[in-house]
Amino acid sequence: MTSRNDNKNLVCPFCSLHCDDISVTTDNNRYKVNEKNNVCSKKIDSYNLNKKSVTLPKKGAKFITLSDALKGIHDLIKGHNETLIINHGVDLSGVRSMLNFASQRNCIIDHVNSKFLYQNIGVVQRTGYMATSLTETKNRADTIIIFGNKILDKSPRLLDKVIAPKNSLCSKSKKEILLIGDFAEKIVKSMKGRCNVTNIKFDLNMINDLLNATLSSDLKNVKGLSKNSLSKIKRIIGKSKYLVATWTTSDFIKTRNPKKIISSISKFIVNHNKFSRAGCMPISGVLADATSTQALTWMTGFPSRIKHIEETFKHDRNAFNSEILLANKNIDVVIHVSTINAEKLKMNKNVKNIVLGHPNTSFTSMPDIFIPVGIPGIDYEGIMFRTDNVVSVALKDIRNIKLPTTQNILDKLA
Amino acid sequence: MITQLKSGNVYDPHNKVFNLKKDIFIQDGKIINKKNIKSKIDKVINCMDKIVMPGAIDLHTHIGGGKVNIARLMLEEFHNEKDPSYDSSAIIAPSTLKTGLKYIEMGYTTCFEPALLPINARQAHAEMADIPFIDKGGYALLGNDDYFLNLLKNKSSQSTINDYVAFILKATQSIGIKVVNPGGINAFKFNQRALNVDEKSKYYDITPREIVQKLTRALYDLGVPHPLHVHCSNLGIPGNFLSTIETIKAANGLPIHLTHIQFQSYGNNGDKGFSSAAVEISNYLNKIDNLTCDVGQIMFGQTVTMSGDSMSQHRNHKHAHPKKWMCMDIECDAGCGVVPFKYKDKSFVNALQWAIGLEIFLLAEDPWKVFLTTDHPNGAPFTSYPHLIKLLMDKTFRNDILNQLPKEILSHTILHTLNREYTLNEIAIMTRSAPAKILGLNKKGNFSEGSDADITVYDKKINDIEEMFAHPTLVIKDGKIAVENGQIKEYIWGKTHTVTPEYDKAIEKDLSKFFDKYHTMKLENYIISDDEMNRLVGSPVYVNDCLRKRKQ
Repeated sequence: MTSRNDNKNLVCPFCSLHCDDISVTTDNNRYKVNEKNNVCSKKIDSYNLNKKSVTLPKKGAKFITLSDALKGIHDLIKGHNETLIINHGVDLSGVRSMLNFASQRNCIIDHVNSKFLYQNIGVVQRTGYMATSLTETKNRADTIIIFGNKILDKSPRLLDKVIAPKNSLCSKSKKEILLIGDFAEKIVKSMKGRCNVTNIKFDLNMINDLLNATLSSDLKNVKGLSKNSLSKIKRIIGKSKYLVATWTTSDFIKTRNPKKIISSISKFIVNHNKFSRAGCMPISGVLADATSTQALTWMTGFPSRIKHIEETFKHDRNAFNSEILLANKNIDVVIHVSTINAEKLKMNKNVKNIVLGHPNTSFTSMPDIFIPVGIPGIDYEGIMFRTDNVVSVALKDIRNIKLPTTQNILDKLA
Repeated sequence: MITQLKSGNVYDPHNKVFNLKKDIFIQDGKIINKKNIKSKIDKVINCMDKIVMPGAIDLHTHIGGGKVNIARLMLEEFHNEKDPSYDSSAIIAPSTLKTGLKYIEMGYTTCFEPALLPINARQAHAEMADIPFIDKGGYALLGNDDYFLNLLKNKSSQSTINDYVAFILKATQSIGIKVVNPGGINAFKFNQRALNVDEKSKYYDITPREIVQKLTRALYDLGVPHPLHVHCSNLGIPGNFLSTIETIKAANGLPIHLTHIQFQSYGNNGDKGFSSAAVEISNYLNKIDNLTCDVGQIMFGQTVTMSGDSMSQHRNHKHAHPKKWMCMDIECDAGCGVVPFKYKDKSFVNALQWAIGLEIFLLAEDPWKVFLTTDHPNGAPFTSYPHLIKLLMDKTFRNDILNQLPKEILSHTILHTLNREYTLNEIAIMTRSAPAKILGLNKKGNFSEGSDADITVYDKKINDIEEMFAHPTLVIKDGKIAVENGQIKEYIWGKTHTVTPEYDKAIEKDLSKFFDKYHTMKLENYIISDDEMNRLVGSPVYVNDCLRKRKQ
């Protein structure tokens, strides 16, 4: 892999859509996305090694050997009571090893995005829920309601691939898109012509009132919504034969009651299915949230926030909430696993921080030990799960910079 | 290393051995004939007063894939089982670890996930790879996917359909094909709420009968050992025995396997509009050579129903217990629905469902044609198999339970008149030899030389047949002792069974175009290679033989 290579149909590991039509050219372990019009090119390319990249283990600011790093981690864990693993994104093999390691060392496992996860799964655990998936939405949906404006930032190619696709099996006319929230004019413009867009600037806190109003035979008063707008929304929804509601929970997290909003949308979709067809399609986070949720659920019964106690994994969404545990100073050692995260990793005070991260990982402060590990889909092959939780993809490797995988490290530590 | 199981009472129906005192020899994970042993016997296990059977095979159990994980996630409050030997996951939706442990402790060594959505196959295999001990496999779902329905709509040739079916088997690493509510899941996506066998779907203008005809023919032409595995139209609806019979007829005499037939054998007589049609269904089962079924027995208690049949599951969600459920349309491929349910012995309908399942078992003349399942977890968790075996083998036990059920059911079932008691021979056939035969697992379910040394040893001295089947004294998997006297001795990791009939690769060009246009992934990334199965998914592949060369 040191010579020049063209790779087609690669799977992108860096967001929950896991687009698998990426074409890159690699040359001497540097790669470049070939498609000029791929809105994600810059992000994908940013994981190339640069001057600041770290490819050898470090203890504080000092480079050390891998065996010294492993010994250092052993010593840190051995001397302390409570070890927390925070998953910032890794492939299936990493999650499997995380669980194996936690079972040997009686650790707690949490995903950094669990707070979003628990907003969404609440409806599945409490009420009825109708879901749909990306390809169904592409081909079946004639109407899509997008709640909140972050979804297209988080999943930039959702628009091209699903919302306004070139081809659609059953939905022959342009899709009706209802934007509910505060969408930038740029986004609205980018959709116009490709679908019929109705942009409703609206306070997300009031979604319950809006959706209830669509069910009423009269035009009810909804704060912040004109009767004309409500009438138009009702007309569009009433005409739809396959309606999809989509959102990303991070849009709701700062509202007064995120669970209530998600519950309202779900209830609305369930009700719509009494006479027509509809489904929810939440878009999950970009840190391999779905991969973690799926694998931990099948291996333990629980999606996150688990601890190995007395030969088995126990779950408590409050007691094993990493944020609460750290705030209450109940943790001695944190192992951050971060193979795809582009954000600066927050190092926790009053604990020992260990990071198994990709070579370009940046930190708020220097971790006690850092072991650079490979990126799934760039440095090694792996499996990840897409946002709709039904499709999993096989990631390929495109460079060889001789980094260990997360699995390699955790298996050695177990 | 050679191991001898000495002086056991052996049941090996495939080789017409019934309760014969003999020795079984194992070398390198396989059965070996005594005459071919060339070195010393390293280990002798005394099987005096023991019953020795091949490892049991469950040909229909929902153990992996998206819907199973939805159930695990949904039913978090049930994950509180206290048994210290296992994790706390509920047996109605167990973790992969618990699934393997519970199966092996009952002497089951091979299990098949019957609803493997092609688009979800990678996940299903990855999940099953994490189930210890057992060998496994899956039946890929077809018959509701838009590509296949387009082939039918466009009057594609049978040969093209055969290519597609063979491609799916290879690409998804499956051993069989299942159709669930033929065409109905797809029709539900277009807001049809029911689809009878000769009713046309509104969008594709195709009947379930055509789908069953094409798929049964494809599997026959390709020489796939397992016939089309059919979850019929109108699941659970009173009077559905008529559509079940029409589905049988749709196969035109070609091999067909009807799954969880208990749920498909309902009449609509009586003042409650619900009655048993087990006699009518059993008549067909007994007279048609190429027809097999598994029962899908229900047991009383809490469980969770999970199915690709989103049309039926959406209809049934009002019966959810506890009151939560989920349905999903999936990737122009299929669908799923997960609805928790509690079967109550005081309920007329549930009690009659219980009786109908047993009637079908007891009316079946040939144990090679009927398989012991609860459609785990839809009828009950698989851990209830020993109890079910006792119901079949002990008339008094069965009638004692029947007498505690609502009296009104007696006018709608003939169960109380059935005196049959299954023999150990018959149990061995229906849980070992017959499923191996119908799946084409030549190395399983028998003690022929070269077969996998998957062996279950029961203690004859245990009087309670349920207890005996629940706790075999010894379970051997691939020649290694997995369980001895109830204790796990060694973790063993199984393989994935597949079948790979030949096909014209030209189908991939057309499929690739279809994927590029309509799917959200590339065809090449949809295909799961043997290498990926081994290295990434975590389960090596074993390719079973087809019955014959492809016909067309």
